Amino acid sequence: MTLLFTIVLMVTSALMILLVLLHKGRGGGLSDMFGGGVSTGLGGSSVAERNLDRYTIGIGIIWFASVIALGLLLAYDGQV
Amino acid sequence: MLGAFANAFRTPDLRRKLLFVLGVVVIFRLGSQIPSPGVHVDNVQTCLNRIEDQGLYTLINLFSGGALLQLSIFALGIMPYITASIILQLLVVVIPRLELLKKEGQSGQAKITQYTRYLTLALAVLQATGIVALARSRQLLQDCDQPLLHDENSTATFLVMVITMTAGTAVIMWLGELITDRGIGNGMSILIFCQVVATFPASLWAVRQSQGWGTFAIVMAIGLALVAAVIFIEQAQRRIPVQYARRMVGRKMFGGSSTYIPLKVNQAGIIPVIFASSLLYLPAMAAQFNATSDSAWVRWINEHFVQGDHPLYMAVYFSLIIFFTYFYVSITFNPKEIADNMKKYGGFIPGIRAGKPTEDYLSYVLSRITLPGALYLGLISLVPLIAFALIGANQNFPFGGTSILIMVGVALDTVKQIESQLQQRNYEGFLR
Repeated sequence: MTLLFTIVLMVTSALMILLVLLHKGRGGGLSDMFGGGVSTGLGGSSVAERNLDRYTIGIGIIWFASVIALGLLLAYDGQV
Repeated sequence: MLGAFANAFRTPDLRRKLLFVLGVVVIFRLGSQIPSPGVHVDNVQTCLNRIEDQGLYTLINLFSGGALLQLSIFALGIMPYITASIILQLLVVVIPRLELLKKEGQSGQAKITQYTRYLTLALAVLQATGIVALARSRQLLQDCDQPLLHDENSTATFLVMVITMTAGTAVIMWLGELITDRGIGNGMSILIFCQVVATFPASLWAVRQSQGWGTFAIVMAIGLALVAAVIFIEQAQRRIPVQYARRMVGRKMFGGSSTYIPLKVNQAGIIPVIFASSLLYLPAMAAQFNATSDSAWVRWINEHFVQGDHPLYMAVYFSLIIFFTYFYVSITFNPKEIADNMKKYGGFIPGIRAGKPTEDYLSYVLSRITLPGALYLGLISLVPLIAFALIGANQNFPFGGTSILIMVGVALDTVKQIESQLQQRNYEGFLR
């Protein structure tokens, strides 16, 4: 059981990192981080981008669930 | 004031954005509380209570909102992103290729942002490895000899924790970008704001418990006065008048208007403070990694740079802030570019010739107005240190210079953006 969730968590983490990197970075770094800087134009998100969002959210939920599951498994493994 | 809030929520577009930001913040804070798999939560809590008021930890906790020491999945917070941004910002000056990209405008900027994102994740892996390794060898929380992990010898746990924290950093980055994209304000700065504010009530309450109501009232009064002073200076600007010549292009008439270039006293914002404090945080971090070796330099750093009330620390902090203020203003504000643009569109500053004299004038005014700005940033960062040392509150006073500047800066910025959205619909804003 622990092994299964460990593998799931590893895979989803890697996917998560990949998917986030695939997004187009918005908000150009530190330069417009604190005050100043013209807000970026409204480039409507494309279909690809919207699908990417959907995948990211899906993987994110699985990632979150497996973090909690694995955390609980590791915490109560010895005692239960 | 309250009416403006009601108006903000009555506008459907703005309401959606505000609720979106709130939702993301809730997710962010939730993630900051969930421990990584394999962490022994009870032991961590016991140890945390024991070491509550040590200098370095409050500094770490400031930027991570308490998440780092709890070894949560968002333990690294936005620190990797800030560090990556700083590094790229400095590299732009050094590496010609990056400078070319920056000059290219929007597309080049997008590329630099992409590099920042890659670098963020690389740094996240490094930091996560460091922190988990520290936790494993029981050095993360000093003077605490209980195991922080369930299975300290297992490689699998180690790997899982590192990759989870790295993925957590990726998620934070994405959340920040989502806020910038679909919410209001700049995502990353709002997330920093949350982390700074998150530890605020607790540390305020700690003052009350250790010092009593009298000191608490004084702290509150000084805090409010500081906030007011910071707002006053943040809003201050010098307006350089610009007159545009009237000209005919075909049948249309252009220009003939008079505007101004606003030069803020604090043109650099709070970036110098963040630069300086994250630079000063490095030696303390290095000392902590080598805490067991007990060599001379570790002791020296612990003596001078960890507590934060040593005169040497204050002096270095102050001069770093002044240096970075000038540095950052010179990066972001380019008088030559502005002078050229004005010349191109037929604008001039009354009494000053277009072209080179305008450029000289602008940089002259800018360097003069930046001096009080830089001094202000340095003093605000130090005043709480001195004042509270006098009252006798210890290191974890709530109104630290850095946190107060971040709070006020981000809040002002965000409120201004909400205000400009409101004004598009002719509603009265927050600021009079």
